[in-house]
Amino acid sequence: MTLDKLVRALELTVINLGSGVSLPEKEFNGVYAGDFLSRAMSHVHFDELWITIMNNRNVIAVASLTDCAAVILAENVELLPEAFEAAVENGITVLGSGKSVYELCVAVHELTLRDE
Amino acid sequence: MDELSLYVLDIVMNSVRAGAEHIEISIIEEGEWLTFTVKDDGCGMTEEQLKKLSDPFFTTRKTRKVGLGVPFLRMLAEMTGGSVEIKSVHESVSGDHGTELVARFGRHHIDFVPTGDMTGTVITLIQGSPDIDFVYRHKGDGFDVRLDCNELKAVLGDGISLAEPEVLAWIREYLNDQYSPSGE
Repeated sequence: MTLDKLVRALELTVINLGSGVSLPEKEFNGVYAGDFLSRAMSHVHFDELWITIMNNRNVIAVASLTDCAAVILAENVELLPEAFEAAVENGITVLGSGKSVYELCVAVHELTLRDE
Repeated sequence: MDELSLYVLDIVMNSVRAGAEHIEISIIEEGEWLTFTVKDDGCGMTEEQLKKLSDPFFTTRKTRKVGLGVPFLRMLAEMTGGSVEIKSVHESVSGDHGTELVARFGRHHIDFVPTGDMTGTVITLIQGSPDIDFVYRHKGDGFDVRLDCNELKAVLGDGISLAEPEVLAWIREYLNDQYSPSGE
C-alpha cells in the first residue's frame, strides 16, 4: 500500500516528507510499534512503518539506519526542533496522528485488510 | 539494549577502537545513583569531535554514518534524572591523552534498566583485547568486585594470553565469587 493512501485514510499529518519521496509512489510493507530505540533499531525493517511516541534526534537516526518507509508519531507528539532538522537533512519521512500507538496499529491493520 | 551491561560494552569498545592500552571501568551503586566511569589512554578526541559526540549523526566509523553509542547512553541517563560528562585530551594536544566518561543514572528510577551480565561483559572485553590492561570495579549492595588485568599478567608471566580459555574460565569464576560473597 502507498503512503498516500495511508495518510488519507488515517488522516495523518505530514510532518516531513523525505527528499525525493512521493507519497503516491512510496509503498510500505509491514509495521513495527515501539519506543525503545535500541530495540527498534533491530526490529524495524526496510520499508516498514514505525509507530512511536519518541520524538528526539535519535529517532531520526534509527529511522535512517533501518531505512523504514516512514515514522508515525502517535498521540500528537511533536518532533523536537533538532529532530525535525535531522529529518529534513537526512530525508526521513515523518507523519503524525492524534491516535494512540494501539489505535494506529489497529487502523493500519484494518486498512491493509480492506486493501487485499 | 535493555541492560546496562550492553551500554557498558558499547562505550568501552570506543576506548578499544581509540587504541587505549589501559582502560579503567568502574560502576559504583550508592544511594539513589549508579555512576559508571570509563577512563582510557586512547587517542582522545578533538574539541570538535567532543562537541558532536552526543549527536547520533556523528560517528568515527567508516562503515555507516550513524553512531548511537553515546546518544543512547545519554538518553538513558537523562531519562533517569542523571547525566553524562565526557572529558578528552587529543593526542595532538598532549602526550597525556585519553578520554574519561562519567555517566550517572537514577538507579531507582522507573525507566532505569537492570545491570545485566557484567561478568560476561568483562570476559567479552578481555577475550577481544587480551593485551589491554583493563581495571574493573563494581561496587553495589553487598558486593565490591575488583579485577586488575595488570596483576593477572604479573602472576601469569609473559607468553600466556588472558584470552586462553582456562584463564577466561578462571576470571569468570573469580568475578562470580566476588558477586556472591557468601558463596550462594
